[in-house]
Amino acid sequence: MATTTDPLLEEIQGPTPGQLLRRRVFGHHGLMIGGGLVALLVVVAILAPVLAPHDPYAQSLLERLQPPVFLGGSWEHPLGTDHLGRDYLSRLIYGARVSLMIGVIAALISGLIGTAMGVAAGYFGGRVDMVVTFLINVRLAMPVVLVALAVVAIFGGSLQVVIIVLGLLLWDRFAVVMRASTLQVRGREYVAAARAIGCSTPRIVLTEIMPNIVNNLIVVVTLEMAHAILLEAALSFLGLGVQPPTPSWGLMVSEGKQMMLFEPWLVMIPGIVLFLLVLAINLMGDGLRDVTAPENRS
Amino acid sequence: MKRNLITGAVAASAIMAATGAYADKASDTLNVAFTKELENVDSYFNSSREGVVMQRAVWDGLIYRDPSTNEYIGNLATEWNWIDDLTLELKLREGVKFHNGEPFNADDVVYTVNFVADEANGVKTQRNVNWMKSAEKIDDYTVRIHLKNPFPAAVEFLSGPVSIYPNEYYAEAGPTGMGLKPVGTGPYKVVSVEPGKHFVLEKNENYHDSPKGQPTIGKIDIRTIPDVNTQMAELFGGTLDLIWQVPADQSEKLAEMGQFTVANESTMRIGYLTMDAAGRTGNADNPFADVRVRRAVNHAIDREGLVKALLKGKSQVVYSACFPSQFGCSQDVAEYEYDPEKAKALLAEAGYPDGFKTEFYAYRDREYAEAIASFLNAVGIETDFKMLQYSALRELRMSSGTPISFQTWGSYSINDTSAITSQFFKHGSLDDTRDDEVKEWLDIADRATDPEKRKEYYAKALQKIADQAYWAPMFSYNTNYVFTKDVEYTPTADEVLRFHAMTWK
Repeated sequence: MATTTDPLLEEIQGPTPGQLLRRRVFGHHGLMIGGGLVALLVVVAILAPVLAPHDPYAQSLLERLQPPVFLGGSWEHPLGTDHLGRDYLSRLIYGARVSLMIGVIAALISGLIGTAMGVAAGYFGGRVDMVVTFLINVRLAMPVVLVALAVVAIFGGSLQVVIIVLGLLLWDRFAVVMRASTLQVRGREYVAAARAIGCSTPRIVLTEIMPNIVNNLIVVVTLEMAHAILLEAALSFLGLGVQPPTPSWGLMVSEGKQMMLFEPWLVMIPGIVLFLLVLAINLMGDGLRDVTAPENRS
Repeated sequence: MKRNLITGAVAASAIMAATGAYADKASDTLNVAFTKELENVDSYFNSSREGVVMQRAVWDGLIYRDPSTNEYIGNLATEWNWIDDLTLELKLREGVKFHNGEPFNADDVVYTVNFVADEANGVKTQRNVNWMKSAEKIDDYTVRIHLKNPFPAAVEFLSGPVSIYPNEYYAEAGPTGMGLKPVGTGPYKVVSVEPGKHFVLEKNENYHDSPKGQPTIGKIDIRTIPDVNTQMAELFGGTLDLIWQVPADQSEKLAEMGQFTVANESTMRIGYLTMDAAGRTGNADNPFADVRVRRAVNHAIDREGLVKALLKGKSQVVYSACFPSQFGCSQDVAEYEYDPEKAKALLAEAGYPDGFKTEFYAYRDREYAEAIASFLNAVGIETDFKMLQYSALRELRMSSGTPISFQTWGSYSINDTSAITSQFFKHGSLDDTRDDEVKEWLDIADRATDPEKRKEYYAKALQKIADQAYWAPMFSYNTNYVFTKDVEYTPTADEVLRFHAMTWK
C-alpha cells in the first residue's frame, strides 16, 4: 500500500482500521504515559533478579539507615538502606512484583465473578437480575477494608490470603457496570438478529454482547487493579497484609513510619512509587477506554 | 531538607501547643507520655511497665529497695524479723494516712495480703504474690506474714510488687473501683483516671517520711500516645516534658539537636527466644524437640550485632536466662557464639539439611523481631512471621504453646533470679520446656535460706537451660528517657519512672 502513489486509490482505500487504532493510541498522551509507566514497572518486576543490585533479604545491621544518594548517600545503595540495613532499591524492585501480582490476580478473580454475574443479570433480566442486584447490594453494604481486616486477622496475613480476599471482595463494580452495559446492548438489532437466526445463548453473549461492552470492562479492570494495590498497601501498613521479610511497598511505608520525623525518605520513596503505579494504571485505563470505545472507532 | 522537615514539625506542633493545654515548669505540671494503654491502674491487675510506674507513685510497699545501693530500707514497715523460715514479723510505721484519710494500720496489711494471696481473686501475676499464705494481726502496728514455703526473696518482693491497699476502701471498691479511683499512701495521689488514656496525679502534701523522698513537682499529667513520632512532635511543641522508652535511633537524633536531656539506662528486661522443646504445640514434625536445632538457633543469632546496631545504649549481650544483676543469675553458662555455618551444620545433623519452615511469633519491637527472623532465615529456618498483641500471644502460649517466639521479660524489676527463671521453668502455663530436673533445682533454690545454696542451684538450673538451649537469651534492654532542660532527673537501672525523684531545675 505504501508503494502506491495513486491519490485516487489511496482515497478509496483510506487508512486501515489497524492504522486508525495505532493513530488513536499514539495520539493519546494519557495512555502513552500511563501505559509506558506500567510497562516499565512490569518489566522491572519481571526482571527483578537481574535489576536489583542486592539481595532484598540480605540484612546488614552495620549498614542501617544509610541515606539515599540524593541526600548524601553512596552509590553502593542508591536509595539507601532500611532499618535492618537492607538495600532499599532492591526491596522496592521486588516490592513491584508483590504489588503487580496482587493487582493483576485480584482484578482477574473479581473480574470473572463480577462480569459473569453482571452479564447474566443484564442479559436474562427478571429473577436472575433480582438475585444479582440483591447480591450487589449486600456486597456494597460491607465495608471492604473492614471485612478484609477481619478475614486476614482470622486466617493470618500472607500473600495468598490477601489476594483471595481482595479477589472475592472487589467484584461489585464489575457486576454493576457489566449489568448496565449488557442492558444497553441486549435490545440492539444485531442481538435480535442473532437470536432470530437461532444462535445459542453462549454464542450471543460471547460474540455479540461481550465485544461491545469490553471497553467498559477494561476501565473497571484497571480501576480495580489500582484499588487492590492500594488495599494491599493499606493492609500491609496495618501489619495484616504481606508478612515480613517479603518486600511490599505498604510494609515499607509501615516500617519507615517510626523514623518518619528524622528519615522521611523511608516513607516517601515507597509512597511515591505506589502513587505513580496507581496513577499510571488509571491513566492507562482511561486511555484504553478512549481508544476502544465504539463511538471513537470511526 | 531534613532540617526543614523538623522545623516544619516543630512549627506545626507549636501551633497545636498554642491551642492545647500548655503546661510546664510555670504551671508546676509535668506532662508525660505512656506508649501503651494501661489496662487497670490497680497494680495487682495489670502486668505492664506503665502499671509498675503508677504503682510506685501511688502506693507504697512495706519495704523499699534503694535503686542505687540495692539496700533494703523500711517504708510502711519500720523493722522486720524472721521468726522462722515461714514467718516474717513486721513492725509498721505509725501515723501514715491513705489518700482518702483512712489511717494505715495492721488491718490494711492483713486485708491486702490475704486478698492477693488468695488465688481465687485472680491477681494477674501470681508469681508476685503466691509465695504468701496469709497475714496475721498481732497488734495494731505489728503483723506476721506466713509463707507457703521458705522464700528467701520475700523481702525483695515486699519491696517491689506487693503494695499495701486500704482495707475498708478496697473491700468496697474492689479491683475495678480501685482502677478507676486509686487510693494509696504513695507520694502522688490520683486526681482523675480516663481508663487507658489519661491520668492526672497530684503531689501528696502529707506524704510520710518515706525513704522514697518527698515529691516536689505539683502535678503529673500522663497521656497515652502510642506513636513515637507524635510524642516527639509534642515534645518539640512543649505539650510534653518527658518521654521514655524512646527507640535508640530517635534518641540519637534528639540528642544531636541539643535541646533535650537524653538519658540512657539499662533495664532488667531481657529479650529471648523460647522454643517448643516439650512439644506442646502438638505439631507432627517439631524440629525444636531436637537439642541440635535449638543450639543451631542459638548459633544463628548475631547478639553483638543486635546490641551494637539496634538496641545500642547500655544494652548487653545475655547468654543466661536472667538479667546479670539479679541474685543467683550465674554467668557461668554455655555461650553460643555467632556462627551461621555451625548452625547450618547442626541443622543438617538434626536431619534438616535444607532447613525447615516454622511459625515465628512476636508481640513487641517489630524491628528486633524482624532482624532475628532474618538471622534465622539466613541459616535456612524459614519463618512465617506473626505479630500478635501481647495478650493474644500470651493466651496462645498458655493454651497450646508456640513453635518459637520472641519474648521479653522485665522481672517486675525484682532483683532476683526467681522472678524470671522460676517464672518460666517450673512447669507453669508459659513453660515451653517442662524439664523436671530444672524444676527440682529451681524449687530448691527458691526455698533455700542459705544464699550460697541458692546460688549453687540457680547456677545448676541456668547451666542446664543453656546447655539444652531451651531458650536463646539474646540481649538486655535499655530505655532512653528524653526530657526538657527544665527537668532534673536521674533514671535508675530498673525502668521505673520515679516521679517523686524528679524536680524542676
